[in-house]
Amino acid sequence: MTTWRLITTWNASPAFNMGLDEALLESSDAAPTLRFYSWKPATLSLGYFQRVADVPAAQDARSLVRRITGGGAIHHQHELTFSIAVALDHPLYRGTTAESYERVHGAIASALRRFGVAPELRGARELASERAGTGMCFHRSSELDLVWNDRKGVGSAQRRKRGRVLHHGSIKLGTTPLEGDIATLEGVARGTTPESFAPALREAFESELGLEFEAGVPDALERARAQELGKRFVDPAFVRRR
Amino acid sequence: MRPNDRKYSQTHEWVKIDGDTALIGITDFAVQELSNGKDSELVYCDLPEPGRMLSAGETFGEIESVKAVSDLNAPIAGEVIESNVAIEEHLEVLSKDPWGAGWMLRIKPERKSLDGLMDAAAYDKFCASIKH
Repeated sequence: MTTWRLITTWNASPAFNMGLDEALLESSDAAPTLRFYSWKPATLSLGYFQRVADVPAAQDARSLVRRITGGGAIHHQHELTFSIAVALDHPLYRGTTAESYERVHGAIASALRRFGVAPELRGARELASERAGTGMCFHRSSELDLVWNDRKGVGSAQRRKRGRVLHHGSIKLGTTPLEGDIATLEGVARGTTPESFAPALREAFESELGLEFEAGVPDALERARAQELGKRFVDPAFVRRR
Repeated sequence: MRPNDRKYSQTHEWVKIDGDTALIGITDFAVQELSNGKDSELVYCDLPEPGRMLSAGETFGEIESVKAVSDLNAPIAGEVIESNVAIEEHLEVLSKDPWGAGWMLRIKPERKSLDGLMDAAAYDKFCASIKH
């Protein structure tokens, strides 16, 4: 079995966070990679195709990036952010996009259960966290989303490129001013931090998906690419291109 | 049964020679993969302006479904003559008719040879192999 690389980068800059994820997506010779990270400063990320004008919170955001994954805007605060970069023919991503979400969300749900919540795939139900006109990821949902308390609590999106996939996920540990009344761990495990949630998620990926991890770091080429690619994600020409 | 009048790439685009030009689109497999069988799951598509030169395998556009953004890749090299921009606002066409009305690009091919691409039978097998 291939051993995955686990990269952990807490409190990193928005440019570094997005640049490293794209570098990992490009890094076809590297081991499959799971990355846990958080943001400093708290940052609003737009989905790849979103119009700035469609996200009212973006108008006066102090820190703003555009992701290469799709979906809605996310306020990266009080959350564990993760990314997966792997070849599309890996068993985790084989089959349909929906099947890959079910596998990954199964592992996330297992980790969340350890913290006292009972997440489920949304399915056909209507959520109390739906809000029109905000452009925010957590205010709209699809049937594959993980929900608890009738609210969306995990945001996720994929970028598929040249036989590889970058899978972004945001697991909400606490509420943020821009997202409001969504599902978080606040009511049941207040004080959970990205650092304290990450080991549970690693174990869930191991137990639920049969993966093995070894702590690692980006290699020199990936670090250089991250720095180079990262500039684009905060460049107004890219961030405000739509 | 997929049409026999065109060839297919491993990244799920098709190309069909049409006189001096070639039409390019994405396959039913790609649409199903992206949309999970629901028209409404396809949300955005960006296609290139006419005049752009594409090399074989180059990314010419991007398509977003509810859960994934994917590249669109040119199966052969050539110059973009026309993009079917109508589908950018009507992505359901890709589900209804990926082989006809859902075409994406008309290009002037560098070469008319489609060597190296799969015929319908080979593409059927390829799709079956990656599903399981």
